[in-house]
Amino acid sequence: MTPTEPLPARGPAAPAAVRPPLPVKMVIAGGFGVGKTTAVGAISEIEPLTTEASITEVAAGVDDLTHTPRKTTTTVAMDFGCLTIDPTLKLYLFGTPGQERFGFMWDDIVEGAVGGLVIVDTRRLDDCYAAVDYFEHKGIPFAVAVNAFDGRVEHSMEEVRWALNVSAGVPVVVFDARQRGSVRDALLVVLELALARTER
Amino acid sequence: MADGIPPPGPDPVGPAPAVRPYLVTAGRVADAASVRALPVETQVVATAEGLDALGRLSFEQHDIVAACRLPQSIAELAARLRLHLNVVRVLAEDLREEGRLAVYVPDAEATRDASVLRRVIDGLRAVPDSPRGTE
Repeated sequence: MTPTEPLPARGPAAPAAVRPPLPVKMVIAGGFGVGKTTAVGAISEIEPLTTEASITEVAAGVDDLTHTPRKTTTTVAMDFGCLTIDPTLKLYLFGTPGQERFGFMWDDIVEGAVGGLVIVDTRRLDDCYAAVDYFEHKGIPFAVAVNAFDGRVEHSMEEVRWALNVSAGVPVVVFDARQRGSVRDALLVVLELALARTER
Repeated sequence: MADGIPPPGPDPVGPAPAVRPYLVTAGRVADAASVRALPVETQVVATAEGLDALGRLSFEQHDIVAACRLPQSIAELAARLRLHLNVVRVLAEDLREEGRLAVYVPDAEATRDASVLRRVIDGLRAVPDSPRGTE
């Protein structure tokens, strides 16, 4: 199988010396300070990197005159990491930036992702609504991962599921963003969901 | 006045570059359809021709080709060179047109293929609980 094809070169033909791996992208979403970068760092083979990316923010209200959402493009810091599966396959984990007060569009970052993980702090459930809505709207397979800060979870999974109003097919798991094995297992839940969709 | 006083707390992206980002792209931004289409995980790698031309390239173009001796994503490239993602998108496109960079745009259908997902799942399952070298 040819995993990726280079864009047609308009300049003189010049093959790359090394064939790159097929990148498989997953997105880690959730409110500010919920453990996105911690989770990326727990599983990434490199220290999480930060780059500046653009996101389109949609203001919470609408313009009274035009009834269209006000959109602004904002530069935000985005953290990400990666994990080499084998020389031909590499998993990329991108943490979504964003402010909770706004709806936001991460299409620039999320396009092509195989799945998403929405990290939730049960003390601040509101912070993850935007991420849940986003993945549901986009039809991207995702799971909700409740970050057990200090090994404690304030609410039962049933309460979290009820509060977030997620569909029955969306897995809700408890995990510890600091533990590699725990992050691995949460990502596996998302990947199994994505795989199940291909077999439907 | 706050001038000269560093902001409180760590700065996650480091100091701002002395040159404003879009100066290096002559004001062009990555909003053309072709450039916009470059996902953040797009793999880029220098061509033999690009490496041969290193001595004749300047500034960011030189840095990008030099950093791409090994394949990497445009997101990694942007982070390591401290350039805005959209600046890297524009410059990568330029270098591709000049034959100095091979740009591998991931095929969304290929990554959602069941066999690819199974390989990622198997690979991830093999990851040990704790990082190597600790505990």
